[in-house]
Amino acid sequence: MNRLKNLPTLQIDPEKKISLRYKGKSYEGVQGDTIATLLYANGIRVFARSLKYHRPRGLYSLDGECSNTLMEVDGIPNVRCENTPAREGMNVKAQNVLGSADRDFMAFMDKMSRAMPAGFYYKIFHKPASVWPLVIKRIRKAAGLGKMSPDFDMPGAYDEIYPRADVCVVGGGPAGMCAALAAAEQGLRVILLEARPRLGGSYDYRCTQYHSVSGDRNMPLCQRARELAEQVEAHPCIRVFAHTFLTGVYGGHVLTAFQQGGEADHFTQRYVEIRTESMVAATGCTERPLLFENNEKPGVMQPGCAHRLARTWGLLPGKTAVFSIGHDAGIEAAIDLSDLGMEIPCVADVREDGQDPLLLAELEKRQIPFYRGWAALCAEGGKNLKKVCLSTLNGKHQKNFACDILAAAAGLSPLTGPLTLAGAGLKYDSHSGFFLPEDMPENIHAAGHLLGYEYPPAIESSGTLAGLWAAADCGVSVQNAVREISEEMAALPGPLRGSKFVCGPVSGKKTFICFDEDCTLKNTDQAMAEGFDVPELIKRFTSAGTGPGQGGIPGHNLPLYVALSQASPDSSPRPTTTRSPLTPPYLATYAGSSHDMSKRTPVHDFQAASGGRMERVGVWNRARRFSQNQSPKNKSDDATARREIENVRNNVGMLDASTLGKFRIFGQDALKALQRVYVSDMSRVSEGRMKYSAMCNEDGCVIDDGVVTKCGENDYYLTTSTGRAGMTAEWFRFHSRYEKWDYHIVNLTDAYGVINLAGPSARRVLEKITDADVSHGAFPFSAYREFSVQNVIPVRAMRLGFVGELSYEFHVPSSFMPSLWQILEEAGKEFGIQNFGLEAQSTMRMEKGHVILGSESEQRTTLHDIGLGFLWHRGKPEAKTVGASALAHTEKQKGRLKLVGFKTENPADGVPKDGAPIADDRIRGYVCTCRYSYSLKVTIGMALVEDELAAENTRLGIYTNDGFAGEAMPDSGEYMKYARVVPMPFYDPEGKRMKM
Amino acid sequence: MSVSITCPVCGKRKGYEFRFGGEDKGAKPEESVLADPAAWCDYVHMNECRAGVQKEWWCHKDGCGTWFCIKRDTVKNIEVK
Ligand SMILES: [Zn+2]
Repeated sequence: MNRLKNLPTLQIDPEKKISLRYKGKSYEGVQGDTIATLLYANGIRVFARSLKYHRPRGLYSLDGECSNTLMEVDGIPNVRCENTPAREGMNVKAQNVLGSADRDFMAFMDKMSRAMPAGFYYKIFHKPASVWPLVIKRIRKAAGLGKMSPDFDMPGAYDEIYPRADVCVVGGGPAGMCAALAAAEQGLRVILLEARPRLGGSYDYRCTQYHSVSGDRNMPLCQRARELAEQVEAHPCIRVFAHTFLTGVYGGHVLTAFQQGGEADHFTQRYVEIRTESMVAATGCTERPLLFENNEKPGVMQPGCAHRLARTWGLLPGKTAVFSIGHDAGIEAAIDLSDLGMEIPCVADVREDGQDPLLLAELEKRQIPFYRGWAALCAEGGKNLKKVCLSTLNGKHQKNFACDILAAAAGLSPLTGPLTLAGAGLKYDSHSGFFLPEDMPENIHAAGHLLGYEYPPAIESSGTLAGLWAAADCGVSVQNAVREISEEMAALPGPLRGSKFVCGPVSGKKTFICFDEDCTLKNTDQAMAEGFDVPELIKRFTSAGTGPGQGGIPGHNLPLYVALSQASPDSSPRPTTTRSPLTPPYLATYAGSSHDMSKRTPVHDFQAASGGRMERVGVWNRARRFSQNQSPKNKSDDATARREIENVRNNVGMLDASTLGKFRIFGQDALKALQRVYVSDMSRVSEGRMKYSAMCNEDGCVIDDGVVTKCGENDYYLTTSTGRAGMTAEWFRFHSRYEKWDYHIVNLTDAYGVINLAGPSARRVLEKITDADVSHGAFPFSAYREFSVQNVIPVRAMRLGFVGELSYEFHVPSSFMPSLWQILEEAGKEFGIQNFGLEAQSTMRMEKGHVILGSESEQRTTLHDIGLGFLWHRGKPEAKTVGASALAHTEKQKGRLKLVGFKTENPADGVPKDGAPIADDRIRGYVCTCRYSYSLKVTIGMALVEDELAAENTRLGIYTNDGFAGEAMPDSGEYMKYARVVPMPFYDPEGKRMKM
Repeated sequence: MSVSITCPVCGKRKGYEFRFGGEDKGAKPEESVLADPAAWCDYVHMNECRAGVQKEWWCHKDGCGTWFCIKRDTVKNIEVK
């Protein structure tokens, strides 16, 4: 199709070609096309089939008001093609069709509409009940729009942004731009949201003359749009989000939206969440559909759609267009399209009077017949429009016109969605025929076309005024400016009287009040005959307005029609409720981008280079184990980390424990804080010694364990488990929030790294690298020492025994970690030092009966349950220790899960998985950790079991579904492995090895 | 998290930066009082759950780390003075 050229309003670049694929063919368009305009330019008129009746549907609107142009694009269903920019190489498919949109084998459904009255989902197929399960399958197959494969991988990049504003203006038309400028002139930060790709609103595609109030500025509206847009875009206080759709308003000050990414953007869609002090809605109007028979036939479209197709995309919608309208913009569109080369046989206006006389004169000049008080009654033709029957409103006189386009609207409908989401109540206004906000919430304002203003300077002034009010919300004094602009507005035309007409004398069988749900006037009548009298209920029963367009098409007409049809004295129309999202974004947009934020320890690279299998543990990357054989020939390696374990037990190993939580707490009340959160008596923490203790919550459930030492007067150093590091400072402060204690807690987790050196040769390695006396006498078990390594690296050393061997923890500033790591590797070479990872550590500490909170505990596990009750010091009630009361209450409580050690009866059965249930005739507990012990040559583990099963030598049945070994359970293919409760620790029960 | 919260140190920030710390119930009673399980349960687990304005604790966890009280209208989910 040839495009119109040289229009000042065009937003296409005819030089830049774009092609996409549809129905196996390639279609060419130009830069600036949406998918729908590109296809329209190539003669495509039928875009989809309707949901229930499979009626052909064409281009009707251009802002996504209905589902007519929802298509599948590159595998993504339900893409709004009318406002989605076309991109090179897109693959577009029609939806809800068997065959193609043009030749749909389900089209016979249209003939069956009598079989599907309103509410048929609720009424039919329920009796007999046995039929329902069969029918539900058929209905589900027929219902719903779009198909998606379960393993579909959503393409694109998704982002999110959380800007903050003083004033947020929704709508970038003339009123919105003036509001933004007025607020920004006061030095406020303004965010302006516009749903279309560029600013301009209703000015953007019109060439009607604009005359400023002062009379000194005259230009076409489209030029005025550019003038305002340039001011807005150049203003340093205004940030414009174009192609951005508002989805919700919360608490009156949080606005959510999503922005469609352009070719140059780094995102496909992005979530926008704005916090603002004040909001201005300047969303304008859409055209209210005219209801007549076949009012959704391809070829019928909104006058604004026809107008914008020509002006913005250079596409004449057809050859001959009949206009049936109820608003001046419709007359303006007819005149303009006539000038651009379309044949306009007539313009029918539902209004008897009230038209702009200048527009009528222009019609006359072009000899276009004008019918007052007439409207379309029926559109006829096959798949495409052939002729239109116009009629007087009472139906007495009728006339047929041949045409291929019918531009039809009953009037205007204000876009009040943002206002209702903000909490404004809507009330029917009998002057404009609009539902307008009656009680505006604080800091929410409305402006422009949506209030009924149509005269351009009045639209702009109302925007300026709203911008000033918004500025006042932010504490700016604007009294004088408000007075000035109010006086100016008083002299301008106010809101125009709007058309309230809904439909002529139609049968209603094929008069669609909602396109998305195929809901006709007849369905609405049926609903009312059933006794539904409120639009909200009729909406539910008929499903009108529940489709993807979310009431865009029926939202205004349904309440008007219902009010008209009811003979009650209070027949003032009541609107249906608007809900977020006003426009649906992709779920991918809500999911956002997957920035994988994780931390690496200072010696990450050394471990990776040594074959470390790095994996995510919470926020960290840690080495699970080290590949045992890196030769290309032998890729197999041992998930049990046997070699690492044996090396620690026999020689010496080193582990990166930098992820431990590390804190300094100091100040004159530091001890009080420690007494509050730790269950033990922390006054016994002394310099040079480590104390192991635990923290509970108020329920007595254990949440953390670690060691504490005293470094000086009122100065302590403590460790927490890796997972609690982020919460610990907050926890201390929470539990002392009512106290005026003088202490500080500093999180040193990232500032310090930790290396654990463990094994019988550990001391000999340490002796090589420090001059300090580290003999057993000078540095005994459970001691804390500070010394330097090679006279440079300051080390805080703790002698602990988590894995059950002679072992040291070295805490050093993170920047020294790589050096210390290399020094230890070098010094340990002659003793066979090797890395060990989390798997080896976990097995070895389990052999010692040491717990890892989270493995051997869960939410409801108390300190008593895991056998650490001895840590609790009950003689410090003045400390108000967190959890102490609950520890007292639960000390002797029956029926709890207790931690026990177990040994399997037959090692050949294999090792039960962590988490395997322990059961007899019911579930009695579960396995926490279970491993084969190379040190002891048995399979051992720890489990939380009901207290009745906690006694030594009790036989435990472990349910497994790993399909091998154990005793098969009858007929199930599942197995039981058996174990006996045994005392812990399993390994070196006297603890001689860690104290040697 | 449409609520915005005024941290006494950092000023008004978006709700995502804060952690809720429950209703303001006053300082914890003495252990001798909490030795009664019912009293303990009252203090630890029972809440007023007021529909309207209530005083409650928040922590600026992604900011300065301070615990402080605000008054919040739980119906509108906005901070009030
Ligand atoms: Zn703060």
